[in-house]
Amino acid sequence: MSAGGAGGEATGGIPQNKLIALGALGGLAGAYGGHFLSVASPAFAFIGALGAICAIVWGSAAVRRVASYGLGTGVPSIGMMALGMGVVASMFGLAVGGIAGPIVAFITAAIIGFVIGVLANKVLGMGIPIMEQSMTEIAGAGALTIIGLSVAMTGTFMFDAVLETVVATGYIAVIFIAGGMAILHPFNANLGPDETQDRTLMTAVEKGAIAMVVAGIVATVADGASAVPSILIGVFIWYIAFSKFVKLVNRDAYKVLGTGLLPTEEELE
Amino acid sequence: MEPLMGMGVLALMGAAATIAGTTEDLESDVGSQSNPNSQVQLAPQMMYPHRIYNKAISGEPPSNALICAIGGTVASVLMTASLSVIFAIAIGALVATAVHGTYCITAYMGRTASQKRFRQPIYLDILRSHTPVMMGYAFITTFCILVVSYIMVAVLAHPFPLTLLAFIWGITVGAIGSSTGDVHYGAEREFQNVEFGSGLNAANSGNIVRKAESGLRNGIDNSWFCAKFGGPVTGLAFGMTVFLSGWVTAVFNPATSLTMGWLSVAAGVILVLLMIIWNRKIEVAARKAFGPYKEEEEVAA
Repeated sequence: MSAGGAGGEATGGIPQNKLIALGALGGLAGAYGGHFLSVASPAFAFIGALGAICAIVWGSAAVRRVASYGLGTGVPSIGMMALGMGVVASMFGLAVGGIAGPIVAFITAAIIGFVIGVLANKVLGMGIPIMEQSMTEIAGAGALTIIGLSVAMTGTFMFDAVLETVVATGYIAVIFIAGGMAILHPFNANLGPDETQDRTLMTAVEKGAIAMVVAGIVATVADGASAVPSILIGVFIWYIAFSKFVKLVNRDAYKVLGTGLLPTEEELE
Repeated sequence: MEPLMGMGVLALMGAAATIAGTTEDLESDVGSQSNPNSQVQLAPQMMYPHRIYNKAISGEPPSNALICAIGGTVASVLMTASLSVIFAIAIGALVATAVHGTYCITAYMGRTASQKRFRQPIYLDILRSHTPVMMGYAFITTFCILVVSYIMVAVLAHPFPLTLLAFIWGITVGAIGSSTGDVHYGAEREFQNVEFGSGLNAANSGNIVRKAESGLRNGIDNSWFCAKFGGPVTGLAFGMTVFLSGWVTAVFNPATSLTMGWLSVAAGVILVLLMIIWNRKIEVAARKAFGPYKEEEEVAA
């Protein structure tokens, strides 16, 4: 993976501030929307997963920015760390916050992320200019992903229900890994000097949709959330995003061949 | 549980784990995941375009944790809906396999598209032929890991839920596959054109073997090579990990008395020490038998 990462700032595409707004507001709106509308009908629990997809897109954009400084094999680690911080923050936030749970969790995650960013730059001396900001963003995105998927599974973010349906049953493990992979995989899968932001973010949507489908499958055993909307909408989003991804690959690739020999010496000159 | 029954259960878990370890390693060899991936990724940049599947789904531990956790989740949900265990595990592994397929495809297409300036084409026949192979291996891995996890929950009454155990075993099988089997591919197969044991000279970086016995080499050729040693040895390593870690408590059951508990700890420590000594002996013997390089080069390597 030494070939990955341009060693400089990632460029192009949608400005990061817009993505922050999308992730933070979308993630919180998804968590609250899913929570309150599920009281009316469990069918609305899928809104939580939509919020999680917003947070995942934001998270993978932040990973892309920070990992472009030649992080290479550190990309998976940073994704796992995002969800590690996210799990701690979201459990704390939901336990103490009550109805303000997601907001408390989000702020806690941001604080943890900032402290880790400062440690990475000042103590470990990594010297990546946007480290503090990126770690703050990644941790926040991780927390919102976990809460959003939990809402899709249970229909609520109330700590008791989440503890019973998500944590005690072990489904938190699948949230952790499916959410974490959705944040880290997009940049990791598109690593290389000709990586483009739209392709990476489209991968994030696609992987987020997979997490949504998995959350829907878990919802079949929960009372407060119904499974079918999450699964159907998740599969639909996955299909759209995957088709777009393939289109973008066709746009960006040197050549897409059915089969063939290697490029000739002259071609490589 | 009867001691004899306990040993039988352990043997079953060990057998399932051995298969899981083998297929996990071969899966990663078809797609050039983890250790060997850096050279496959580097090759086009060094003017060595290739027809080898370039798949990095992060490292092997997270990617196997993902498929095993998804398989465990689906299986656990289906078992809650009182479907039979075999079906639940099989369907769980199937869903996990489908997810794994999408991860493989995005990794290969995305990474290759990002190497435009090095003129590395995307070969769709590679995508179509390799992805099902990896999905097949991933299915076997997930199925066996779920069998091990289910036995732990249902027979050994482990306090953790199925999904969590599958997740943990997924990380473990990935870590063992990454550290044991990949060396066989990354250090040997990719650099068959240099003298055995010479290490990776910087000048050879990215100069991986790209031509096969017949035609151009691909990931399936690599798994054919690795199936002879790297895959089975990974299976043995993982099978032994599962078997021996359970064996010490099956023989010295801590539930019977405190003394037995301490005896099981002592047995574990003795096993680890034996392994360390044994490994050291193998390494020294291999260096004596095969190592062509001299003292000063050894430091550089």
